[in-house]
Amino acid sequence: MSLRWLIGAVGLALVAAAAAPVRGQEGGPAAKPLERLADGQPNVQGHWRPVNPGSLSLTNPVPQAADFDPSIKPLPSRIVDPPDGRVPYQPWAAALQKEQNHYYAYPMRPEHIDTQHRCLLSGVPRLFTIVPALKIVQTPGQVVFFWDSYHAYRVVPLDGRPHVAPNVKLYMGDGRGRWDGLTLTIDTRSLKGQRLTYIGDFYSDNAQIRERLTWTDADTFTYEATVTDPTVFTRPWTMRLVQRRLPTEEVWETACYEGMSNPDRYLLKVAPAPPTR
Amino acid sequence: MRLRLPAQFLAVTVVLLAGAPPGAAQTASSSIPRTSDGRPDFSGIWQALTTASWDIQDHAAQKGVPGGPGIVVGNEIPYQPAALARKKQNYDRRATDDPVAKCYLPGVPRLLYMPFPFQIVQTPTELMLLFEFVHAVRFVFLTGRHPPGPIEWWLGDSRARWEGDTLVVDVVHFNDQTWFDNAGNFHSEALHLVERFTYLDPDHIQYDVRVEDPKVFTRPWDMRVILYRRKEANAQLYDYECYAFDYEQYYPYPQMRSPQ
Repeated sequence: MSLRWLIGAVGLALVAAAAAPVRGQEGGPAAKPLERLADGQPNVQGHWRPVNPGSLSLTNPVPQAADFDPSIKPLPSRIVDPPDGRVPYQPWAAALQKEQNHYYAYPMRPEHIDTQHRCLLSGVPRLFTIVPALKIVQTPGQVVFFWDSYHAYRVVPLDGRPHVAPNVKLYMGDGRGRWDGLTLTIDTRSLKGQRLTYIGDFYSDNAQIRERLTWTDADTFTYEATVTDPTVFTRPWTMRLVQRRLPTEEVWETACYEGMSNPDRYLLKVAPAPPTR
Repeated sequence: MRLRLPAQFLAVTVVLLAGAPPGAAQTASSSIPRTSDGRPDFSGIWQALTTASWDIQDHAAQKGVPGGPGIVVGNEIPYQPAALARKKQNYDRRATDDPVAKCYLPGVPRLLYMPFPFQIVQTPTELMLLFEFVHAVRFVFLTGRHPPGPIEWWLGDSRARWEGDTLVVDVVHFNDQTWFDNAGNFHSEALHLVERFTYLDPDHIQYDVRVEDPKVFTRPWDMRVILYRRKEANAQLYDYECYAFDYEQYYPYPQMRSPQ
């Protein structure tokens, strides 16, 4: 399943990359304002996808397309803070990520296979970077996110209820949201440690994330996530990307794990050693 | 995948037009939650209190299996002879062959009476059922018709309409991989369900399911389950990522799973 998915994802990324400039012009100055729902929330329901989707890398997004079309230049890092665009790993964590960057191409152990190839939930913020679309539904007092893959969903209450106990770790974390004008701020705790990219970026069970989803018009929002994890990073860091509205359509079933052949069968017995530095 | 005959779609249409089967719940309650357009509002967290996911028929306890009354109306399932033999074979192999033991999507209606909560998110055009078990999502559309198929989905294609205060959901396009329970009760890809959701009072939904499958059963039969609203102040779906447990040792990295 994983190879087929990867090929599909690459194809979609190419299409999306090609389509992005046109869509950008369409969302120009004459952009529509947002309506209000009965409970006061800005109505941001609908289907969305990153303008430049893909979760291979945070610092070098969408290189998949460049693999097929050399004229496609890498995009700027998704990381806007720190200013150098790099993940501020502690040394031990940087070593782990570098190792995985190598072994992603030469998997020898189960952990060299990315979680997405096992159909595991990618969690927050990774699901906001992937190629499959996301759908937002708002009902009184909550915002619900659905993804067109992994049958992933996430319920964000807006009523200020307390978080679950900190020792409880959840794949989508435990998010609490509030609207401030056209910005939805979500504080997420109880995150289970996750991979963030194919090349092995990660956070631990000690991560907390503050997300800000800011609508600049009815068809565009900026997604920003600040990740704080004193176990893994030297300081909080922030990633940002832009999502655009897609045409509304029915979300159909996306089984993933069912019938999947175990990717461990592709593990290599020998592989090049990782580069030393 | 097999071609499905147009006659079957005709049958679906006839059932839709025929209206309520006998025994449909009635509620005269005006106190049930309603949406702004006056429809019953099923939003909330729900859970069945039944042992039916182990066996939809009356069953005694076994080690690790709670006993209890079944949910099949009349308790008998009208299997064709060959299908009954297959059911018995399934039962003997249930520890390994039950799709839920493999952490696969459990199918409909089993997801609604498993011992896990689920949340209904309702809009005027669709209901989304979010399940704690494997983070399953089921979309129930109040718009459109079944796509022509043939399609074999784990949860089928659900098209709903209102009959008074009852939500009636017609479901087709299943695969033949899911079971009704751990006891091996099964169906083919020709499965056709008509589900009826009716409030008994603001905190209880009567959930009726009519089951049709001409390849497996001699006649349609019915299940009846009560769904209970989870009213705890801190009620919330957690997650039960069934197939992930074996992999958690590897992610984010094995080093991070050592004592912290």
